[in-house]
Amino acid sequence: MSAAQSQALPNPMQRALSRLGIAAENLADMAGPLGVTPKETIHASGTLKLHHYKPLADSVYRVPVLVVTSLVNQPYILDLVPGQSMVEYLLLQGFDVYLIEWGRPRREHKDLTLEDHVLRLLPECVDAVLRDSGEKELSIIGYCVGGLLSVLYAALTPKAPLKNLVCMAAPINGDGLVSLKAWMGEGFDEEALIEHYGNVPADWVQNTLRALRPFGKLAGAANLLNQIDKEETVRSNLRMGKWESDNIPFPGGVFRQMVNDFLRGNKLVKGTWQIGGQRAKLANIKQPLLHLLAQDDHITPYDSASDLVKLAGSRDKQEIVVKGGHVGLVAGRGAQTRMWPALDAWLAPRSV
Amino acid sequence: MSTEPTNVPQVDWNQFSPATMWRDWIVKSEAQWSETVSRLLKDEGGGAMLKKQVDEARMAHRQFGEMAQAALAAAYLPTRADIEAIDERMGKLEDGLAQLSATVVALREALVAQGAVKVARVPRNRTAPKPPKKSRP
Repeated sequence: MSAAQSQALPNPMQRALSRLGIAAENLADMAGPLGVTPKETIHASGTLKLHHYKPLADSVYRVPVLVVTSLVNQPYILDLVPGQSMVEYLLLQGFDVYLIEWGRPRREHKDLTLEDHVLRLLPECVDAVLRDSGEKELSIIGYCVGGLLSVLYAALTPKAPLKNLVCMAAPINGDGLVSLKAWMGEGFDEEALIEHYGNVPADWVQNTLRALRPFGKLAGAANLLNQIDKEETVRSNLRMGKWESDNIPFPGGVFRQMVNDFLRGNKLVKGTWQIGGQRAKLANIKQPLLHLLAQDDHITPYDSASDLVKLAGSRDKQEIVVKGGHVGLVAGRGAQTRMWPALDAWLAPRSV
Repeated sequence: MSTEPTNVPQVDWNQFSPATMWRDWIVKSEAQWSETVSRLLKDEGGGAMLKKQVDEARMAHRQFGEMAQAALAAAYLPTRADIEAIDERMGKLEDGLAQLSATVVALREALVAQGAVKVARVPRNRTAPKPPKKSRP
């Protein structure tokens, strides 16, 4: 590198390394721009945005796919970069893909509840997808809390234009979330938290999730250093690290319901959860159902998720457990070789 | 001396680095350490501990916020509240832009429906699943 080029580098450490002949890259640049698969926003309401991705195949399956993302994480985990994107994979297989981005709630959104999400916002998006695609039914793919929202939608809307329901690591059974249940039991004062902050702050959400696996971050850093010579591994790790540090505040109203009804009361599995005056019963779900789970998921452990397929009223239902963790299920190397092909193999014949 | 390549496997000397071995040990032990700590946190004291932490964080947040606000205001620097207000306004602008974008798409679709504009569409004619991929030999 010439002296002029060396001087052009913005970072003194990079300049020093380049003088020594060591090519230094900006770590932020190595992650690259995330969520760049071409799309357009076809519907927006408050912080919610409904995106439609440009098809990448020469023809698409008749039934469009609506991806429902988590409320507490950024949606770009499903569309990191070309080659590491579940959305891109689905597009290449010939699916017509739409995605809900819930957005970052502001103080004015602190009273948003599950009723708002499941009975108003999600149905609005379903209508928008059907209008845009010109079809009469769609498939829903829900990830993590987005999976729970999708399940509630299907359970509360028996006449929903839903052809297939796919959940990925969707928590269903509050008793299975042993740590969260212990931490947010009767001694925990969620009202004080909501009163002070309005929405549950993103760093609070992040610290709670990290506490589920206290040494995970340390082990991840050590593992990364041991693979520092593998450029693509480093890039992939930086992307996921960026996403893991980019949580979204939890709307106060939804958090209150999740703590009281889902965790403490475990009302979904018991069939006693009232949302908008209706009882959410898993037996009401009649659509073909696939639940994809990760073997080493510490955020949605198997015990918190396995009841979905057991209790759903669908005749055509299947559970697939793949190796990996909560994030690796949708975005890691294992996702590319195991989960995405399994999802395609299940959904494609049901999308015609 | 022969310069022909041999089939003798090369030793990866990095694996004998003390730092690498130490990090490997961390990676291999992490699940056990996390499990042990998680088990300790799962008892009934966990909720009480979290409640105490939340109370402490709220109090510290308020006290530090008040202290910092006064100092920052004295130095004509923006406070946390100012930054949060800007964040809220930026969020509103972003949402407004998304709504505009959605409206433009809706207008385009209306024009397409009237036949005033033509847009190339990918056909929805994929009627059968793809043939199963052949397994590797």
